Amino acid sequence: MALPATAARHVRSRSRPSGRLGRLDRMVSPYLYVAPFFLVFAVFGLFPLLYTGYVSMTGWRADVPGSEDLWVGLDNYRKLLDDPFFRNALWNTLGIGVLATLPQLLFALGLAHLLNHRLRGRTLLRLGVLLPNVTSVAAVTLIFVQLFGRDFGLINWTLGLFGLDRIDWQAGTLSSWTAIATIVTWRWTGYNALIYLAAMQSVPYELYEAAALDGASRWRQFRSITVPMLRPTILFTVIVSTIGALQLFGEPMLFSQQQDPTSGGSQHQFQTLALYSYSQFWGRFKYGYGAAVSWAMFLIIVAIVAVNLLAARRLRGVDAE
Amino acid sequence: MMRTARNRQLGAGAGVYVTLVVAVLLSVFPLYWTVVGASRSNTEINSVPPVLLPGANLFRNIARAFEQTDMGLALANSLLVSGTVTVCVVLTSTLAGFAFAKLRFPGRSPLLAAVVATMMVPTQLGIIPLYIMMANWFHWADHLQALIVPAVANAFGLFFMRQYLLGAVPDELLDAARIDGCRTFGLFRHVVLPAARPAMAVLGMLTFMATWNDFYWPTVVMTQQNPTIQLTLSELASGYLRDYSLVLTGALVASLPVIAAFLVMGRHIIDGIMQGAMKG
Amino acid sequence: MRTSTNRTRRLSALAAALTLPLLATACSSSGGPAAEDPNAKITLTVNLFSDFGYADLYKRYQDLHPNITIKENRADLGAHHQNLRAHLLAGSGAADIEGIEIGQVAGFKPQADKFVDFLTKGVDRNQWVPSKTAPASSQDGSALFGLGTDMGGMALCYRTDLFKAAGLPTDRDQVSALVADWPAYSAAGKQFLANSPNKNVRWFDSAGNLFSAVIAQAPVGFYDESGKTVVESNPAVKAAFDSVAAAVKDGQSAGIQAFTPAWDTGFQQSQFATVACPAWMSYQFKANPPADGGKWDLARIPGGGGNWGGSYLTVPKQSKHATAAVELAKWLTAPEQESWLFTEKGYFPSDQALWTKPEVAGHTDPLFNGAPTGKIFSQSAKDLKPQPLGAHGAEIGTALGNALTSVEQGKADAAGAWKKALADIANITG
Repeated sequence: MALPATAARHVRSRSRPSGRLGRLDRMVSPYLYVAPFFLVFAVFGLFPLLYTGYVSMTGWRADVPGSEDLWVGLDNYRKLLDDPFFRNALWNTLGIGVLATLPQLLFALGLAHLLNHRLRGRTLLRLGVLLPNVTSVAAVTLIFVQLFGRDFGLINWTLGLFGLDRIDWQAGTLSSWTAIATIVTWRWTGYNALIYLAAMQSVPYELYEAAALDGASRWRQFRSITVPMLRPTILFTVIVSTIGALQLFGEPMLFSQQQDPTSGGSQHQFQTLALYSYSQFWGRFKYGYGAAVSWAMFLIIVAIVAVNLLAARRLRGVDAE
Repeated sequence: MMRTARNRQLGAGAGVYVTLVVAVLLSVFPLYWTVVGASRSNTEINSVPPVLLPGANLFRNIARAFEQTDMGLALANSLLVSGTVTVCVVLTSTLAGFAFAKLRFPGRSPLLAAVVATMMVPTQLGIIPLYIMMANWFHWADHLQALIVPAVANAFGLFFMRQYLLGAVPDELLDAARIDGCRTFGLFRHVVLPAARPAMAVLGMLTFMATWNDFYWPTVVMTQQNPTIQLTLSELASGYLRDYSLVLTGALVASLPVIAAFLVMGRHIIDGIMQGAMKG
Repeated sequence: MRTSTNRTRRLSALAAALTLPLLATACSSSGGPAAEDPNAKITLTVNLFSDFGYADLYKRYQDLHPNITIKENRADLGAHHQNLRAHLLAGSGAADIEGIEIGQVAGFKPQADKFVDFLTKGVDRNQWVPSKTAPASSQDGSALFGLGTDMGGMALCYRTDLFKAAGLPTDRDQVSALVADWPAYSAAGKQFLANSPNKNVRWFDSAGNLFSAVIAQAPVGFYDESGKTVVESNPAVKAAFDSVAAAVKDGQSAGIQAFTPAWDTGFQQSQFATVACPAWMSYQFKANPPADGGKWDLARIPGGGGNWGGSYLTVPKQSKHATAAVELAKWLTAPEQESWLFTEKGYFPSDQALWTKPEVAGHTDPLFNGAPTGKIFSQSAKDLKPQPLGAHGAEIGTALGNALTSVEQGKADAAGAWKKALADIANITG
């Protein structure tokens, strides 16, 4: 960071506003401002991404000396296609992703709508719904593991009050997905609600007045004015939540009660892609294969985001910005 | 403008209040339950019907948690890492955000596009090479700089500051300052920095919380000899006496700093999220 | 927003003031390797995967060596060994002393040169029986990289009060006779479930745990003498798997994952009446007395014999305080400490000379209603015919345990779970 020195020079040379120094300042200094960011960004942000691509085409296993230079081309990716564990992890990730994203955004929309009233204690209510978002994945998951406990968990006890059977949340595919999705939903609903709220507040009030004059019900107004006006924001939250959901790691890892926390359940029923990649690279030292899982995961995210964008365009009304 | 819009908002009926209060209760309950669990014994937590009020064991449990794990070191590490990352991110983001928002230079658009594009890339994509770099090249594995340095360039931070400065600093003001003889750094120092302060505070807060709460990268690159608080939490849940009251105590201790910061700064964070949404 | 800028400014100034000194220290926090001055103040780190009962011993050692501070960390069994392997490969990150479990030790054999060789540090390998030292020796047998801590001779722990309520005998000899082998154990389980007045109590804690005990008695387990995986071809594995799965099907298992908080809670809340208990599991009973005041006793393990678990202490060469770490490891595994660990904590020593010492062989444990644990575990140690070990033994055990868990959870039948486990094992060994 050579900035303070340049700064001093700038201040001293103030007496000559234009001229050679001034031109130099205008030409060079922008780069000085972005330099600290881009230096770190290039080394620790961009380079690893490209390097992952390279590693994914090697047969590098950390426990096999000399294997880092073993070029295998697309073999790892070919292997992925027949890997039942990868397919299982992909399926789990998508399933949990849908369960974690859809209800979350619907709840957020409803919550935002409610928060968009003239309210007493507005700040307190907003703080309240955002609070889950500041707690950590690790803490939240451990708390929910207790709440979801089979024998003594509060959630099963509550189900019992309604005469329902206890659920072994970790055991089933759907039950474990639901539990993990609940953790995600709990953490992120308030955050998304605030984003929707901001967008709702910029909807011109006149639209509602006109609709009210036409005799449209509140529900009708919500559906035909609020939701369409929010479409760009909704698209934004769908994409951000999708990216987040496809990367789930800490929740399934700490939710697991298995001896091997990367197994994601007794039959891998909630082993996500991120967990699988980690188990291959950290547990089995397959750097090359683990990198291929990472890249595949990235491509899947890109594909899903692209589908989202296309679908949104189909539904028209996406005038970006 | 906001104020008039608000005055024209619908009045809230009892139903709205009730629903919102229920939502807030659902949001707060797991944390309340953590306090209950952290102040009880394992046997009490696992009794039927369950206990719902805090007990008397809180300080004893905290003492046990500190005694059995390296929680003191973990808290200090987390504070150090989160604090340093926060200062660095706010600094690099404000500097670069200013350049991208208000300066014209060749390469500006492609550079910005590169940053925005990587915001979409999952952090996990780079984890394996990043670990190889830390372990084999720099020998930083298990050192705090392995957590700090890569976090300094935060694409979201840059984008956030750029978006904010785009609107917060009128170009006319910068032009006028230039005519008055300000060099670029003068503009930054006297015009941009004062205007950027609210956004810097919000970005700082968000960065602090995100760094404090980070789990994946510390799991890979750090060890239990030099843990962050999140690692200690996962240790509490596995290797020790496996006592729910201790686990919940750990969760409480790990969450308290961010919750306290949130209660102090919460309004600004809400404003920040909402403004970011408007512009993003 | 505008009205609040003042407050924001003050807050951000405060935040900066708080964090700037941190920034300064962050950049100078990397300490270089300390020279090995015997009196220099050092901290030794010890990484383990469960309670080894060392806390009081550390205190004593620190009193003897005021310049040394000892810090212990623990992780899950699987995660602990994974991390150790990764840190050995990376060349950094390991603790000064690392515990290794016997089921995992074969996986570290090829990396024996990454550990300190204790034979060069004045250790006599005859302190242990060959079956304990061989797995922790280098391929050619010239180096010893692990000091034996405890052994996992097995017994059957049972709740006398729950047995009595179900009309089963409570005397330990009678119980031993009742559960002479695994089929008899299973039959007794049926009887217990039928007659126990409390229907929330199951016969045993966890299918995975029971499986570990049963397979530990087979002459050959997951590996043959040549180090080849024989899970699929060895009938003993399938037989153990099926017998446990059948017991699960009869509703005998509480279905609680061992080594989780729910397991500890199961002990406290009396969710099961028996546990196949190796000596090292005593800490579990001690730490989690039944909340209803019930008592544990200890009988002979069905089928007799077998070893489940037991561990080693190792010192990775990457340790910055290798000399001091070797001294501590030697001290922790010395006869006096080993003997103390047994009488106070229940860890049965692998030090063979101790097996005939009266303070060990004659020990009775009040935790188990005064059962002669010394006699029982000494006998099982002397009778032990060790199983051949292999690189992924523990992970294979975990995979089979997971499969049995899915049976417990009602998500698979024995055949389906077995098939899935084989696929998992192929992925582990491939």
